[in-house]
Amino acid sequence: MGLEHLASLLRNLFHKQREERELDAEVRAHELLMADEKIRAGIDLQEARRQARLELGGLEQVKEQVREMRSGHGLEIFIQDVRFGLRMLRKSPGFTAVAVLTLALGIGANTSIFSVVSAVLLRPLPYANPGQLIFVSEAKPEAGISGLGMSYPTFTELRDDNRVFSAIAGLGGHALVLTGHGEPSEVSTVVVTSEFFSVLAAEPLLGRAFVAEDGQRGAAPVVVLSENLWHDRFGADPRIISRSITLDMRPYTVIGVMPASFHTPFLNQTNQVWIPLAQDPLFSVWMTKPLREHWMAVIARVRPDISSAQLRTELDTIGARLANEFPAEKGWAIRTEPLQQTITGDVKLPLLLLLGAVGLVLLIACTNVANLLLSRATWRSKEIAIRIALGAGKRRIGRQLLTECAILGLLGGLTGTLVAYWGVATLVPLLPSSLPKFHSIRVDSWVLVFAFVLSLATTLVFGLAPVLSAAGSDPHKELGEGARAGESAGPRRARTFLAVAEIALAMVLLTGAGLLMRSFSELTSVNPGFEPDHVVKAMVSLPQFQYSTPKQWAAFSEELMTGLQAQPGMQDSAIAGPLPIVDCCITLAFQIVGNPPLPAGTDDSANYVPVSPHYFSVMGIPLLRGRLFNESDSSSSAPVALITEALAKHYFPNEDPLGRHLLFGFPANGIVSREIVGIVGDIHDVSLGKEPGPMLYVPFAQAPLYGAEVVVKSMLSTSAVVGAIRAVTHGIDKNLPVTDIAQLPNALNASVAQPRFRTLLLGLFGAIALILAAVGIFGVISYSVSRRTRELGIRMALGAQPGSVLSMIMRETLALTLIGIAVGIPCAVATARLITHLLFKVTPYDPVTLALVPLVLIAVGALASYIPARRAMRVDPMVALRYE
Amino acid sequence: MPPEQTNLLQGTLDMMILKSLALGEMHGLGISRRIEQITKGTFQVKPGSLFPALHRMEEQGWLVSCWGESENNRRAKYYKLTGAGRHQLEAETKRWRRIVFAISRTLEAS
Repeated sequence: MGLEHLASLLRNLFHKQREERELDAEVRAHELLMADEKIRAGIDLQEARRQARLELGGLEQVKEQVREMRSGHGLEIFIQDVRFGLRMLRKSPGFTAVAVLTLALGIGANTSIFSVVSAVLLRPLPYANPGQLIFVSEAKPEAGISGLGMSYPTFTELRDDNRVFSAIAGLGGHALVLTGHGEPSEVSTVVVTSEFFSVLAAEPLLGRAFVAEDGQRGAAPVVVLSENLWHDRFGADPRIISRSITLDMRPYTVIGVMPASFHTPFLNQTNQVWIPLAQDPLFSVWMTKPLREHWMAVIARVRPDISSAQLRTELDTIGARLANEFPAEKGWAIRTEPLQQTITGDVKLPLLLLLGAVGLVLLIACTNVANLLLSRATWRSKEIAIRIALGAGKRRIGRQLLTECAILGLLGGLTGTLVAYWGVATLVPLLPSSLPKFHSIRVDSWVLVFAFVLSLATTLVFGLAPVLSAAGSDPHKELGEGARAGESAGPRRARTFLAVAEIALAMVLLTGAGLLMRSFSELTSVNPGFEPDHVVKAMVSLPQFQYSTPKQWAAFSEELMTGLQAQPGMQDSAIAGPLPIVDCCITLAFQIVGNPPLPAGTDDSANYVPVSPHYFSVMGIPLLRGRLFNESDSSSSAPVALITEALAKHYFPNEDPLGRHLLFGFPANGIVSREIVGIVGDIHDVSLGKEPGPMLYVPFAQAPLYGAEVVVKSMLSTSAVVGAIRAVTHGIDKNLPVTDIAQLPNALNASVAQPRFRTLLLGLFGAIALILAAVGIFGVISYSVSRRTRELGIRMALGAQPGSVLSMIMRETLALTLIGIAVGIPCAVATARLITHLLFKVTPYDPVTLALVPLVLIAVGALASYIPARRAMRVDPMVALRYE
Repeated sequence: MPPEQTNLLQGTLDMMILKSLALGEMHGLGISRRIEQITKGTFQVKPGSLFPALHRMEEQGWLVSCWGESENNRRAKYYKLTGAGRHQLEAETKRWRRIVFAISRTLEAS
């Protein structure tokens, strides 16, 4: 039987035409035989044939019932449906393209953004048991200082005297100069306590990690390399272990290589080295001096049996004891938070904002496709009625429509997948570099599947609507007066609702995008207080062990400045400590000499920059009172300082600061009393988004650093300027690296990379939402016009002017848009309030945005309905009345 | 309609068709008239049920068909029982008797 079955299946599939001919002949013969019977019974020919036809119950219906019985029917129907579906979709390329593109945009955008969010925010940190890792810091709540680092003495207290951590380590970062293996270059250096790798449970690729002995003062200098550096600089030589490399002109023995998969929290770079704190030329001072500089980032692994309450109690106890022992620690408290939160905290809100925005885009996309499908369904209700009248079963039609929708959904899904891969590839290089990148960003397959299923579900559910309405409808009615009376209220209302929802959602997205754009334009139009145009900057660092005394640093800087001034085409040049915005910042406590001392635990602070005399002219910072620095302000002359207007206003409100003395210094052992000789203009030192705070400038010659930024104002090309800086620097010492070269305007631009990124993306999503909403409005209105051709014809026959028809249609659109806007405004404001933190100088209730967005929506709505409205205007009454 | 009932009815139609064909080959109209005749008009088999049943049973190998001439010289498709068809008829008859017996017992008991 199985074999026969197979045979008939094959016959049915491959000899379809013969089978069909046979079936047709058989059923027709049956009808003739029945007629013959009736003729024999005395009925006349015509009547006999009529009765036979009635008794047969419809030739096509019988044939269809036989076909459904056949084996292979399902497969055959499926192939037929797919072919028919593809033909139908090809027949209306506009509809197909819009639906597929809409779905593709929704799916693609969502998957790309979610892939980023998942890699950055959701996936756990790539360490063993990442849930146990916490960030420990000291905060001073009453002074509003939080999230800072920790001082070394507090760290040692915590390390040596706690019962809650299985391990705790501190780290800090800067750069050392690597020489001897190719070009001298700066290499990112992570200065760690010896427990660092064991806290993170990281195993080296080669050799060993640090042990407690490496962290002792006086131990042999050792270094661990990153895999990338090992490849790039040492050719992945496996014999690197126990060889010596030169950092800042001092030999370090390589003890291990960390795999590329290992990421340093906060300070990750592909090419980097790790050295013990005791071996660091810069930070090791803090190990011995009882200075409470909060410079160190501290991470710890909490013992698995310790609850968060126990942790809190223990740290509070230690904090209280420290405050008792060291009066300077008064007011400082020990804070903890999950390491993951510390790392992702800054980017969480912007990323969630983007995620919410693409979610809305997907929602709008699905709404749009639903709307399109509903419109199409009503178009096709007549076709379906005819097919039912001709003998098609409703289930059969349902299957066919479902197949058609599934094809649409799949096409949308596949295109969406392409968009997703393209989107991730495009997005990754655009991501702001400040984004923590612990995991490589790949298309997240789960989200892709989710978006795919959602799009398929939307097409299926809304694609079935015509079947459901056809199931309830009567073919007579649909083919008779039903078609003319206009569409039934249900689907029409559903479509109007969907269009309104789309407008409301678009309103939310556009408001968000508008607010971000306004805030970004505010941000970029901020006057930084200096003139970055035609200024080139570069960093020159001096190896600590070669240039170990401030005198050497000052001498080097002087030589560099003299050399640069002698180069042709350099308008002006200077060196400075941290540059505003680009480097930011050294914040120092200061005291006003002659004022009563401040209560313990509080201090005044200002940002501190040592500069050479020409700095203010290079940067275009105005002198308001007194004098600038000049060549006679040297290490041997009286210590002087310049203050900014903000400092003068805040600390010397009713007196003249000139001639007063301030007590401060950097590093802290260099504290001296300096006379205020002038007041200069305020600048944005921290970022464009932060108001200028008080600042202190000192002559570089009186407070030199081992490395500094060189700034040159010149009309020459950047490469010419950099060439000059290199030439002069290498003329003094050929082993000095010149790094971090940039045109100052570009460097400022880079500082707003994150807001630019989110503004760009949200703007893009807003634009997509606007286009989709326009398509939605167009669909609803053009459909409504086509259904009302007859009504419009009657109106025009009765004397309505084309203009009044146009305005009638436009009024309909306007009503739709206004309802959408009315629903959208409260949602938009509520959403905007969630992103208040991301806004700069713009409130969530920004009247400009809230007025402009509805106007844009109304304009787009009018545009979208104009084409169908024009069609309505051109209705010829005679044609319309004869129509159907 | 619950599936059991459908099966019963479908099985019944199959059985009646097989039974009508037990006497010799016949075309579709002949089969339906035969069933009407035997059941004294209780069962009227409409073409919409007859043809699907015939084609299904042919696919299952119970029937074979061929074109022939009807009594008044019309071309018609004739159906004939196969060995498997006879076998099926016997099985169906036995099954049917069992059901009828069981149902009668049930009805008498109440």
